[in-house]
Order: sequence, then structure tokens, then C-alpha cells
Amino acid sequence: MERRKFLGVGLAVFAAIVAPGTNLRAMDFRATMPKAWTAEKSVDAIKELYGSAELKKTDKIKFTAPKLAENGGSIPINIKSDLDLESVALFQDANPRSLTVVFTIPVGGIIDYDFRIKMRQTALVTVVAKGRDGTLYTTSKEIDVSIGGCGG
Amino acid sequence: MAKMKIKAKAKGDIVNVKAMFTSLMADKEEAEKKKISVEYITYIVAKHNGNIVYEANTSGFMSENPLVKFDFKGGKEGDKIEFTTIDNNGKTETGSEKIK
Repeated sequence: MERRKFLGVGLAVFAAIVAPGTNLRAMDFRATMPKAWTAEKSVDAIKELYGSAELKKTDKIKFTAPKLAENGGSIPINIKSDLDLESVALFQDANPRSLTVVFTIPVGGIIDYDFRIKMRQTALVTVVAKGRDGTLYTTSKEIDVSIGGCGG
Repeated sequence: MAKMKIKAKAKGDIVNVKAMFTSLMADKEEAEKKKISVEYITYIVAKHNGNIVYEANTSGFMSENPLVKFDFKGGKEGDKIEFTTIDNNGKTETGSEKIK
């Protein structure tokens, strides 16, 4: 009897820890598109996240990154655009999984995001953005990495 | 306890925000190699007056202790900006700061 009670309490505590936090998100790409987060290649990850619609190459999304990154553990990236976009995602082919970050852009939001990523090796980095009209835009850049980050 | 550093500065009607979060940002492979536990932030959200001004779903391939910068419209001095992050273990962290 004693042991059974103990197990029951344990389960209840576990449930309480896991339950909260999930309802905070407006857009949870992890729950709605789990496959996009496990895809190894950028091409597959983009398909999972945005579907197989045609990607339009654009220079209206400014994607700034160093050509040669000395430290692969911390590569500064900037994404800037004046387009009316719904979401922006960054993919790279250097790591075990491609999708790095997805931004959901609030209506009227300014698109000027700075952040840093890790890359194991030299690879192509692709930015894909979805406009509010559904158009998919893309721009990409190859980043040279001299010392790999990400434990490499 | 993980900590959060937030700086927000108003310039006209645009607010520049810088935020740094404490997290190992180690995905499975990296954690194995460095013999640390898998820990990375999966979600970052910033709110101003209850409206979302920044929202990102992240993976373990962001750099350790992620630093993010962004701008948003409509904030003014004295307003509050609130951040919430969730990591892969479901742990939530919150932090807030006044706009200067």
C-alpha cells in the first residue's frame, strides 16, 4: 500500500512540472511542426516549415553575416527588412539539424534582428521569410568557419 | 538560477532592446561531447503593455548565453518590457525592465 501511494504522488508531481508553460505561446512551431526541427538538410527543413511553394530570391531582406567567422561558436547575424513579413527563419547546413531560429513578427513590427549562432563547419546559411500575403522569400550566404563551434 | 539581462532605450517612438539570457544552449551532440546536460532555450517572447513585440522559436544552435537585439515601435520611457523564455526541459524564466 505504502509503495503504491508513493508512486501516485510521484506521478502527480511530475505532471505538475510538465504541464505549465505550454499555453504561453502564440505560435509554437515546435509543437505544430516537429519535423522541421529534426530535418538535417536545409532543403528538407524549409519544406517542412513552409511547404514546397516556390521561393522567391530577394534582395529586400538584408542578411548580414561575416564572410569568414573565426569562432564558429558565436557568429553574429543580422536580418533586416522593410517587407511586411509574417515570419523569418534561419537554416544552415553545418549542424546536425538545420533549423536554427524562427521569428514570428508582430503586425507592424520592425524587422531588425541581431543574434548569434553556432556552426560546426563552413556551410551555406539560408534565410527564408514568409510575407503576410503568403509569398516566400529567400536569401542565402556561405559562411566560412575556421574553428568550429558546437563542440566540433 | 538563470539570469536575464535586459536593456531598453527609447529613441523617439522606437525602442531599442538588448537582452541576454543565461543558457548553455547545448543540443544533444554538443552535450555528449562536453559531458554536460542538454539545455537550450526553445522559446523567447517579449511583451510591452501585454502586446507581443518579439517572438522567437530557437534551437540549440544559437550561441551560448544568447544575446538578442531588436527594435519596436510604440514604447516610451518608463514603460515596462517583459521577457519570458522556455527551455527544452519546460523551465520558464521571466524578467522585466523599464524603458529608459
